[in-house]
Amino acid sequence: MASTLRLYLTCIRNTLEAAMCLQNFPCQEVERHNKPEVELKTSPELLLNPVLICRNEAEKCLIETSINSLRISLKVKQADELENILTKKFLRFLSMRAEAFQVLRRKPVQGYDISFLITNYHCEEMQKHKLIDFIVQFMESKMMFLFAFSTTFPTFKVATFTDLLTLIKR
Amino acid sequence: MAVMAVHQFAQCITCHAWSPDQSMVALCPNNNEVHIYRLVEDKWEKVYVLQKHDQVISGIDWSARSNRIVTASHDRNSYVWNLEGSEWVPTLVILRLNRAALCVEWSPKENKFAVGSGAKTVCICYYEQENNWWVSKLIRKRHDSSVTSVSWHPDNILLATTSTDGKCRVFSTFIKGVDAKDSKKGTSSDSKFGELIVQLDLSSSWTFGVKWSPSGNTLAYVGHNSMIYFVDDVGPSPLAQNVVFRDLPLHDVLFASERNVIGVGFDCNPMVFAADERGIWSFVRYLGERKAVSSGSRYGSQFSEAFGKFYGQSKHGVSNDAVETSRTRGTVHENCINCIMPLGDHGTLVRRFSTSGLDGRIVVWDLENEQDLLEL
Repeated sequence: MASTLRLYLTCIRNTLEAAMCLQNFPCQEVERHNKPEVELKTSPELLLNPVLICRNEAEKCLIETSINSLRISLKVKQADELENILTKKFLRFLSMRAEAFQVLRRKPVQGYDISFLITNYHCEEMQKHKLIDFIVQFMESKMMFLFAFSTTFPTFKVATFTDLLTLIKR
Repeated sequence: MAVMAVHQFAQCITCHAWSPDQSMVALCPNNNEVHIYRLVEDKWEKVYVLQKHDQVISGIDWSARSNRIVTASHDRNSYVWNLEGSEWVPTLVILRLNRAALCVEWSPKENKFAVGSGAKTVCICYYEQENNWWVSKLIRKRHDSSVTSVSWHPDNILLATTSTDGKCRVFSTFIKGVDAKDSKKGTSSDSKFGELIVQLDLSSSWTFGVKWSPSGNTLAYVGHNSMIYFVDDVGPSPLAQNVVFRDLPLHDVLFASERNVIGVGFDCNPMVFAADERGIWSFVRYLGERKAVSSGSRYGSQFSEAFGKFYGQSKHGVSNDAVETSRTRGTVHENCINCIMPLGDHGTLVRRFSTSGLDGRIVVWDLENEQDLLEL
């Protein structure tokens, strides 16, 4: 378990190191605008091939790169209904506070649990290696958090959805 | 080491250019202004702030003989600045662009300059005496994407461009009344304005940082696929070479001599490429020394690593499952280098040059002590 996670995170780190070569690039379609090309996708020549890194069927990471922006989408393993609800609640809590994280995307890409959007402005203001560290450590701690949370009630049988919500709220 | 001086001017620098006597440096601190610093008693003092653009400035060039500054910006405008008395006076250049201007460079004779743009066009600007203004002629419908860099051939007529469509192109920019027809020169002065001399489709990714060698016989440019391309005999049947390197892609290049190229980019460290007697180009070494941590000192022995895991954490205080954190490369620049400029005469040999990057530093490098490079 530990060794596969290490390999998975190392692979993501190395890919981010190569993908995070971003530069200021004004929009080709709209004058006097500067938009993340990875979101617009109006000019196909400004996009690189997306990289999908899978640990297993349930855990994967999609890295989409363009000339001035990078989008990282994560899918977290959800073994059962409990983990599914915990993940949704926790990640929604974070997404609602995306401004505080700066690089967090408010809405995840379809099919993924959480997404990051890094633009050239982030690379100008922050150090690249620290940005990569943040994302990898975020993934690591998030997985640990969800794992710890779900193992708190290992054989807990919840009758209804509302019972579970009250349990989480406590 | 080749580093002569390191100056922290701003939080982030987009581009920079030196005055003809190297006493002043003009730079854009990643905004819509140009700051000019002068060296006063071993200290850089801000002497001028040029404010006319209303979006980030993407290119600056300072002419060596006429002492004029040209700036290009994302606001689609370009200005030529003349020093009149103690202040810089701007003159608007009518670029006729509907997208951002991305790069600018004076021609060798300084009678015209080229502006690459996000409108997939190149503007060749020249001064019209009778109307007393700067006008531009456009090279249209040749590029399939934004023009990322431009470079003038020493003959003042040929212009090389790179683009995000992955191609490098060479155009004729002969303008009647501006350029004199030279009988000695063959094809370049015979070609009409905007004629495509050659299109090089060598890169599978975006291309940047095109430069001509001092003689104009060789062309070098870089691709975002961590490759650098060298083209000899630019014309109908060019001879092309590409050099692949393991590190992050380059962004700009400079010919230090006819057989010596320095490349800068996302690796935060200038890379030296050289051609041998047969004209085969290869990567030589990094210019800035890397303070690489030896594998032994970083990881310790296998036993100590395992012993650390026994206590629930590795030797370096990282949890079992963690990947070791990224480390800074121990280079002079701490972020992407996006501009490299020669210092001194723009002749056949460049002994000193400067680099600027997103870390807000301008670093002056000297090749005098680099004996192995001078012998190339």
